[in-house]
Amino acid sequence: MPRHYDLCARVQNGFRARLPRIAVPDTKMNLAIANVLYREGFIAGVARGDHVEPDAEYVPTTPDNVATRRLWLDLKYNNDEPVLKRMSAVSKPSKKIVMKVEELQNLASGNRSQFIKGLQPGEIAILTTTFGILELREALAKGAGGEVLCRAI
Amino acid sequence: MMARSFTTSAAVTMARKRPAAVQDIIRTRVPGLDSTSIHNLSEIHPLLDHYPRTTDQEGALNLDTAKLWASNPPLDDMLKSQGDDEIDEASLPHGLTQQDLRRFLKRTLIVKRTSNMTTAGKIPSMYALVIVGNGNGIAGYGEGKDDEVARAVRKATNRAMRNLVAFDRYDDRTIFHDIDHKFHATKIQFRSRPPGFGNRCNHYIHEICSCIGILDISAKVWGSRNPMNVIKATFEALSSKQKLPEDIARGRGKRVVDVQHTYYGASE
Repeated sequence: MPRHYDLCARVQNGFRARLPRIAVPDTKMNLAIANVLYREGFIAGVARGDHVEPDAEYVPTTPDNVATRRLWLDLKYNNDEPVLKRMSAVSKPSKKIVMKVEELQNLASGNRSQFIKGLQPGEIAILTTTFGILELREALAKGAGGEVLCRAI
Repeated sequence: MMARSFTTSAAVTMARKRPAAVQDIIRTRVPGLDSTSIHNLSEIHPLLDHYPRTTDQEGALNLDTAKLWASNPPLDDMLKSQGDDEIDEASLPHGLTQQDLRRFLKRTLIVKRTSNMTTAGKIPSMYALVIVGNGNGIAGYGEGKDDEVARAVRKATNRAMRNLVAFDRYDDRTIFHDIDHKFHATKIQFRSRPPGFGNRCNHYIHEICSCIGILDISAKVWGSRNPMNVIKATFEALSSKQKLPEDIARGRGKRVVDVQHTYYGASE
């Protein structure tokens, strides 16, 4: 099952290649992370479709078409520059990063925590919590810690 | 003990020789110039009291008078250098004038002796790298080569004035965010720092920051510390690699609020 690092690579490469939209595997985690990116304004839209293009009308996922299911993300560019410059994984299979609320507060203030650099102005971090996949400030508002999946700027 | 009045020997000599009616004998150098004419010196000769004492309504002395002669600052032609690399005012960016350029900070950072190997032998030449800046967001660097150091420095200064760049600063004192930049074999990491921190960095970066007007920054040079490349890397990084929060917000369709200034008060 493709994990969050696969999505980071696809999104970053898509922006670097100046593609209008990219297709990523249709999984619950990819959908949740894509929703966070959409809420933060990094991508213009999220749509489900097959490997050729997004669906015009709703198509239910069945065992017959599950292999072709994709999530299509519309990428954004402004002033001849990509809106997302870099999206990288924080928690990796070689080293999982799980943070408490105090450590997340450090990250949000721009300070280092658990050997992870603090967030720069305009940077976001996406983490998985018991409340679901949230952006770092949303998680702090709920008082939730969790595994820090990736960061995007 | 008897109290003695101490006088110099010359004064004692004069006192002995002085006759009774001093005013009749003393000849003043300028006719009419004596102790009685002190208050009307301008009547004797206009040069003697060249700030004519005017009185205002209450009869008090008023020294606020206009200058008697016009000030003639040296002409621009006289101030121009011998002839190489003149600066055309029309080519200056940001609406600067020759007057502003004269007040710019100028720092000669590198002076080297280079040699060009030809069939005739080694031809030496002096190289200079000069940075100029107004300490308030505008700076530039220039390189010049000539047989004499002074001429090379002058060439470099003129080139620096031509290559001025405007730099973005957060709060007019530091950069907006941390920057990593690589130029040839020189890698530099710049870190934004709070007010009062100071410029804790490589000495070349320190000079550039004082010319730009950056007051708080932390920087580390990794790899090659070649001075020319450190300077060029710094100029490249600080001018091109900064992303302003307004531009980030515009790209994402968000509103940006400066919490520091609105809620905690601007750092003075």
